[in-house]
Amino acid sequence: MSDADAHGALARTTPFRPVLSAVGIRKSFAMGDRRIEILHGIDFELGAGELVALVGSSGAGKSTLLHILGLIDQPTEGKVLVAGMDAWAESEAERAELRNHHMGFVFQFYHLLPELTALENVLLPVMISHSRWQYRRRAAEWRDKALSLLERFGMVDRRDHRPSQLSGGERQRVAMARALVQDPKILLADEPTGNLDSATGDRVLDLLFQEQARRGLSMILVTHDATLAARCQRTVYMGDGLVQGDSTTPVPV
Amino acid sequence: MYRTFLSWRYLFARTTNLIGMVGILVAVGALILIFSIMTGFLEESRRAVRGNLADILVEPFFDEAYSGIALPTTPERALAVIEAHPGVRAAAPMITWHALFTQGGSQKGRFNKFISDASHSGMLGVKVVGIDVRSAERVAQPAFAGTAALLGMTYRPYVVRDHFAASDLLRALLRPAVKPLPGLSGDEAVAQPLFPFATPAEASDKARRARLGSILVGARFFDQLGLRKGDVVQLATVSPVSSDEQFTIVNREFVISGVFSSGENESDLGQVYIERSQLQDLVGTEQAFSQILVRLENYDADGPAVAADLRTSLANAGLIVGLPQEVRTWEDFRGNLLGAIKNERVLMAIMLSLVLMVAGFTIFAILSMMVTEKRRDIGILSALGATRSGILSTFLLVAFWDALIGSVFGATIGVIMALKIDPLERWLSGYTERWFGKQIFDRDVYLFDHIPAIVDPVAVAAFVTLAFVCTLGFAFFPAWRAARQNPLEGLRYE
Repeated sequence: MSDADAHGALARTTPFRPVLSAVGIRKSFAMGDRRIEILHGIDFELGAGELVALVGSSGAGKSTLLHILGLIDQPTEGKVLVAGMDAWAESEAERAELRNHHMGFVFQFYHLLPELTALENVLLPVMISHSRWQYRRRAAEWRDKALSLLERFGMVDRRDHRPSQLSGGERQRVAMARALVQDPKILLADEPTGNLDSATGDRVLDLLFQEQARRGLSMILVTHDATLAARCQRTVYMGDGLVQGDSTTPVPV
Repeated sequence: MYRTFLSWRYLFARTTNLIGMVGILVAVGALILIFSIMTGFLEESRRAVRGNLADILVEPFFDEAYSGIALPTTPERALAVIEAHPGVRAAAPMITWHALFTQGGSQKGRFNKFISDASHSGMLGVKVVGIDVRSAERVAQPAFAGTAALLGMTYRPYVVRDHFAASDLLRALLRPAVKPLPGLSGDEAVAQPLFPFATPAEASDKARRARLGSILVGARFFDQLGLRKGDVVQLATVSPVSSDEQFTIVNREFVISGVFSSGENESDLGQVYIERSQLQDLVGTEQAFSQILVRLENYDADGPAVAADLRTSLANAGLIVGLPQEVRTWEDFRGNLLGAIKNERVLMAIMLSLVLMVAGFTIFAILSMMVTEKRRDIGILSALGATRSGILSTFLLVAFWDALIGSVFGATIGVIMALKIDPLERWLSGYTERWFGKQIFDRDVYLFDHIPAIVDPVAVAAFVTLAFVCTLGFAFFPAWRAARQNPLEGLRYE
């Protein structure tokens, strides 16, 4: 609790700088002859070091918005600005690099590669961003970094286990280590505890919030759990493809 | 970095990929093995088809009444012209004539038998070839060279102008009978191949006293007539030399000094060799030669070109009339058969390449399955910052490892099996004979008693390359599908 308070105080005293913003986002799908619009024009800004809960009922479009903000899904209309840069106007390689270096993802279903060990899963983003020779040169360094992350999450003893040998909570901790290994500025979590029992989920969330505060991460947490949202400094309510409410209105600089 | 790492991990974590690898391994191995055996068979057949034929045969058209040109009856000038060509290594004159071959003793009974059954009467029409064998020179040359070296003089060895230099006669004399013919124990081979016309130890005293000439007989023919080394046989023929323009019948006895085996049926069944001077004397003709055999330095490189050169230069010197058939390569004689052999090889390679297509389809199927199963992984990789081309190459690399490992091991196994096919087949035949009463390779059917296999490195390299092209070609479609996949499809659900 004290962490969150300290962070809240920090957020209030520092001027608001958006690191990730959505401008007039619309998203529609073709369903046979008809087009179904899921997002009807969303404006959203995530400030530096801000912890935002994205709340709404199922089908409100929370996950879709998160995927669009995470540059995994392309909006039908609108812009996604990452540190002021229009991401969808850039090349595919540029977006891939943004995802790799600046964003960490934590998914509801963990999404670890089943063929890799816990440690290899954590190292995967590093392997993606480095050529063979670049990686080789600093392999020990990367390994130490991944191990220290695993240690922080209490997973260092299980580094050589495959995901299938791990419990849900353990898998999510590995996934969190993977999300943080590149030291991203932004962390996007899509119902990270949705698949865990409440006790396990709470422990995982504690770790996540600790890291957010310690690193000053800008983080979006998608959830439909009001108690969970209460632990965040700001809550954005979504419904019917629109932002229905925002607990704090960011103060423009 | 992740492409290599991940593809390698996928390769071994999934049994189906190993199946694809084994598919390529088997295809490449089988391709190399079968192609090597085919090449071996064809090469062996080519040798059998060629038999004792020299590279080039010069056969002047002597019929003055027809051509109006009188050609010299002695070979020396023609030999000089032929040997002057840089592509020629050796040349030798010979005479061919036809005769009846009979065993010694009473001929009446044989004649009656000949009328009723020509092939089993012991009286056969044969082609008599009169050849030069200058073994003394051949043997003396190294001795001369040695002596000259001792005395500090230079002695340049020259190519001996005889049948050994110009043809494969020596090999035919050395070669054991193609397969163990009944009644031919192997003792019938010439005792000293370099002196094929030396009177054999088995010759009777009577034959020695009569100073009979020696004769070399084809292996199959020898066997068919139940002959033995040292037997006295008779050649009966006609002589064109006559006072009243009629043929004279001449005959002469010879003692069998040995057997040759060229591997080609026609000459092994119906050809005998005697010395050229003997044949000239028997027929009583002025004509000292009828053909000249020519051996080239490198027939495969420029055979037909040298033949054309020789035809021109011999015609210009007035030594042949200039007809195309007067100078022929050995392939001109056996052209059809060789063409068929070459066609078979090409057809075989094309058909076998279809095996690789099947292996390619296997990779296609396996990789398609994998891409479908790995939708989630593709989504994850994309979310973690992998580009489309990175995902494409990851899946292509899986196929690449399949091709690399499969074809390297396949090629190794194929080459080893091709080199060891004969002992392998004997070992397997031991079992098949016990279980099914049959051998895999029936050695009685062919002219050779082993399974020939020639490993052609170019063909091996070509098959390996083809395996790569085929695998990667087929793998491209599923890999491309993986790259095009919407990452969200894999991320939405468990």
